[in-house]
Amino acid sequence: MRLLSWPSITQLLLAPLVVGARASEYNDYSENLLLKSLPGNSILASFRFVSNGTFDSHHSVFPRSLAQILQQSQTKELHLKFTLGRWDAEQWGRQVWDGRTAGGTGVELWAWVEAADDSEADARWTTLNNALSGLFCASLNFIDSTRTIRPVMSFQPAGHHSPESLERLHLLHGTLPREPVCTENLTPFLKLLPCKGKAGISSLLDGHRLFDAQWQSMSIDVKPVCEESGKCQLQMEQTKPYAGGDSCFPLSGVTDLPWSLSEMFGRPIRGSCPLAVVPTEEATHVCVNIAEQRSIFVSQGSEERKKSPELRCFILHENLDFDIVLPELSPSTNILLTPPPVYASRSLTGHGQERGGIQAVLNNPSSNSTVEFVYLESLPWFMKPYLHTLSVTISVKANRNIVQDIYYRPALDRKRGTQLEVRLRVPPGETVLLNYEFEKAVLRYTEYPPDANRGFDIAPAIISILDPTSQKSTFSIRTTSLLLSLPTPDFSMPYNVIILTSTVMALAFGSIFNILVRRFVGADEVIGGSLISKIRGHIMAFAAKRRRVGGSKPKTE
Amino acid sequence: MSILTSLRSTRILKLLPLVSALCILVGVAWLLLLPLDDYSRRTYISENALLPGQVHTYFGGSEQDVFRSYRHEVTALGKNASADGSGVMAEKIGGIFDAFGLKVGKQKFEYTAAGGVYAGENVYAVLQAPRGDATEALVLCAAWVNTEGELNESGVALVLALARYLKRWSLWSKDIIFLITSDSRAGPQAWVDAYHDLHAPPAVASLPLKSGAIQGVVVVDYPTSRGFESLHIVYDGINGQLPNLDLINTAVRIASGQMAIRTTLQEMWNHDNQYKDRLRTMLRGMVNQGLGHASGPHSSFIPYHIDAITLQAYGDGWHDEVTLGRTVESLFRSLNNLLEHFHQSFFFYLLMAERRFVSIGTYLPSAMLIAVNFTIAAIALWLKSGRQNTGEEEKSGDGRVSEEKRRLIESAGEAPSAAGQPVVVSEERLLLLSMAFVVAIHFLGFIPLYLFNNLDEKNFNSAFNIFTLLNIVLPSALCAIFTKSFAPTPLHFALIKCFSLLLLGMFLSALATLNFSLSFLIGVFSSPITFINPTPKRKWTVGTAWMILLQGLTPTTALVGVALYWGEPLSEILKEAAFGWRVWGMWTQVVVWCVWWPAWIIAGVQVAGSWAVEA
Repeated sequence: MRLLSWPSITQLLLAPLVVGARASEYNDYSENLLLKSLPGNSILASFRFVSNGTFDSHHSVFPRSLAQILQQSQTKELHLKFTLGRWDAEQWGRQVWDGRTAGGTGVELWAWVEAADDSEADARWTTLNNALSGLFCASLNFIDSTRTIRPVMSFQPAGHHSPESLERLHLLHGTLPREPVCTENLTPFLKLLPCKGKAGISSLLDGHRLFDAQWQSMSIDVKPVCEESGKCQLQMEQTKPYAGGDSCFPLSGVTDLPWSLSEMFGRPIRGSCPLAVVPTEEATHVCVNIAEQRSIFVSQGSEERKKSPELRCFILHENLDFDIVLPELSPSTNILLTPPPVYASRSLTGHGQERGGIQAVLNNPSSNSTVEFVYLESLPWFMKPYLHTLSVTISVKANRNIVQDIYYRPALDRKRGTQLEVRLRVPPGETVLLNYEFEKAVLRYTEYPPDANRGFDIAPAIISILDPTSQKSTFSIRTTSLLLSLPTPDFSMPYNVIILTSTVMALAFGSIFNILVRRFVGADEVIGGSLISKIRGHIMAFAAKRRRVGGSKPKTE
Repeated sequence: MSILTSLRSTRILKLLPLVSALCILVGVAWLLLLPLDDYSRRTYISENALLPGQVHTYFGGSEQDVFRSYRHEVTALGKNASADGSGVMAEKIGGIFDAFGLKVGKQKFEYTAAGGVYAGENVYAVLQAPRGDATEALVLCAAWVNTEGELNESGVALVLALARYLKRWSLWSKDIIFLITSDSRAGPQAWVDAYHDLHAPPAVASLPLKSGAIQGVVVVDYPTSRGFESLHIVYDGINGQLPNLDLINTAVRIASGQMAIRTTLQEMWNHDNQYKDRLRTMLRGMVNQGLGHASGPHSSFIPYHIDAITLQAYGDGWHDEVTLGRTVESLFRSLNNLLEHFHQSFFFYLLMAERRFVSIGTYLPSAMLIAVNFTIAAIALWLKSGRQNTGEEEKSGDGRVSEEKRRLIESAGEAPSAAGQPVVVSEERLLLLSMAFVVAIHFLGFIPLYLFNNLDEKNFNSAFNIFTLLNIVLPSALCAIFTKSFAPTPLHFALIKCFSLLLLGMFLSALATLNFSLSFLIGVFSSPITFINPTPKRKWTVGTAWMILLQGLTPTTALVGVALYWGEPLSEILKEAAFGWRVWGMWTQVVVWCVWWPAWIIAGVQVAGSWAVEA
């Protein structure tokens, strides 16, 4: 969206950090908040925290906890995303920051790990996952080999890597579509910030209000900028529920509802973070992107910078609370939304327990430019796609050049999942249907989760839009995740069967075994405890033996 | 060894028909016992997550005004707005959904069955769950025209009002799809097929908008603008498949417990929960299940393993749309709680009152016993056919019994020796001709199957009359041709009956696990077949009596019976069947024409054979 009107932020990110300039450490951290009104009385609040630092410095704002993990696992670049809900591109347009900061539903992690070979990379990847799992209170340790893929076309490193080190870097990617994102993930995130949510725009980040939003995404991107630098970013969108319509025939939302920061987040901003960089004309604290006609009231002590009619920015005072109030406005106003490069939706087809299919609908909304992108699917091993059923159909013309390239890595049972990357080129205004079928594997009964009948979550597909000249990913989109139902045994039945068969076994086997094994002897043949009775028993047994040899029947009782 | 020997003994062979008869008697008696308190159970909620009726419902107040305004809109559009091909209904309803900020999709469809064209346009809207991830969905549906052909004015208006109302809640964990189908029969089928991408374009259009896996469907049928007296819960799916019992229990509990609405099942408007009413409810349910047709818009969802029910407002009473709206709201709150797909409770059950049921373990033996009677009779015939000669010998003389007894005593007293063996003289069975005949008759069943599924509806009446007449003379004619061409021996007839019964027993026992009611009904109708003696040494009067009895038990008679039961003309029933075959994927006809009818024809041939061979 308004990324182009944010040259300052872009510049700040890419500005090479002067390493060792310890005097400038306070300036290593900057934060800003963008509030954007969206159609349907929704507000997008995009928080952005950037901290620069080096691993070896003890006084850096770059969090040591994260730095140590990265050092330990030899991770050179890290992208970790926590996402809840879905981004409705048709209603809200394209995502901020080119969709690079939002992951798919659940947790998504990818990193470039420096290692000599694949096995070493795997070991370091496991180390990284386990450490991050502890740091962020998420089940990242469950990203094992079955959930890890090595994308070939979809991702390119964003940081600066020397050509020699690039050769030693391994890209690993893992997803946990099932992971619910909640406050326990937010708290460690806030702890990474220098002001820890006590001051500055991070003081708005309260779990109670934050997780009531329609869609929210939290991402941590660490990349080397000449040396090492880290960048953390949190995006959140808060929606006001549509209220009103007391008339007999309800009118649709014709007014812009009033809102304020303290109403949305439950509290105002508690001044600016003293550790952040001194704001300049370009780098302001809070920006509001609303229609020109809407009036806006702010707290005292802040300075306004109008960058364009639709973008009003504010610099906060260090010790004064800051709030924004927007009154109601009728008729409704909207800022112009830019559509994303591709509209993507994905759904399951077919029914039954044996096989199914996936259909992805990819639409290029542009009227004049062809879009080229990589469609990446990371499927679990128990979902076995048939590559020969992969079909790409376009709505109108029989265009044979849609599929440019396919990279496919088949699954190995219980070892690794399927990785499918398809490079597609969609002509302007066309819709492409990507279909393939798959077979559902039957799992061992211990492999089912406790809520087996819910189904299994399939990670969102990742669509990376490629730049036509450089073939580098410039924009990324995630589809929603899917719920795959597998043939599920009735788990209470084995229990019943086990109980029943055990009983039958115990009764039948026990009694038969007893009859077969037990030696029936006469009461007078029983060998007693004492020595005398033992001897007598032996004599009796001997006598009995002689009698049997003699032909008469043994006496039994 | 001893079992085989004893099976071959005449005594056991004599007993087997009695065992068959006993199986039928016990099977029927078993079913009649089910409504008793000792054999049925009270329903209970098995899935703890549902928590039915544990929430406050807030639908009401100004929502009622909104509802009324929508009802005016629906009434103004009229009944024909959905079917006239203009797309007025979809346009208007789509516009209303759009005003709520919901995403709207439309779907055109057209089916051709029995010469009739069934076209329309469905319209639906998706309420995306806040914070949701589009993995699961619930459907709230109303057909524009209900199963009785009335304009579902309050039902559609209620879905619209609820769409607006439910949109304001932020607690939904699943997407909610609001679906208005243009009719109750083809529309839901077209929609659910397209949702799973199993439709046949271009006759049925693809859906422009989809959500996640559907977890539950509630259909609202409220065709009047007056208050209603009780809530009729319709649950039968296509081919006798049923939704999970938990869904019905939840609906019953919410309606009667929370909202104090009386609930009824299977059109039993007055139910005193005594033996007679329970039995009638159960039998009505079994007839619906056995016919396997769609009893409401919900039926089309059930084959996709989506649990669905229809809530029908019945009678005149003091409950109004707000009560129904609150029932639906509470039901959706319960469904929203679901963490897993419905799986806890029963999928195979017979309901006999809204809170009383029997599960498959209890009722299945009755249909199985009836199916087993055919198998036992077939085994008896097989054994008998192998010892034809000795059987002749034994028939003479009254001292047979004592002789038999003596032999039995001997064999019991001593270890089984070869002494008893020579009595059994095995005869060579002439298999080819008998088998070929049975297989041919079974293939003959494809003719009526094809005929009644592909004829034009205008010809149904005349076709049925001609077929009925042919059907009466067919066994005799077939028998005449058979005896003239192949000169069969009595052994052939015995083997034909043996194979026919074996097939029938096999099919019915397999069917009992899929559609208990159909298997039971066909089993009862064809139970006299077991007792037709293939030996062609009978008086012609006995043969005639058998023939008359058989003619009373043909599939065609059953069709007439169904028409009388529903009070509809016969051509309507045949039309429904052809429509079901084309659109719903109903396979009741296959069972009737390829399992039951061949068995009946062979029985007729046996009876006719008793004259033919003698002559």
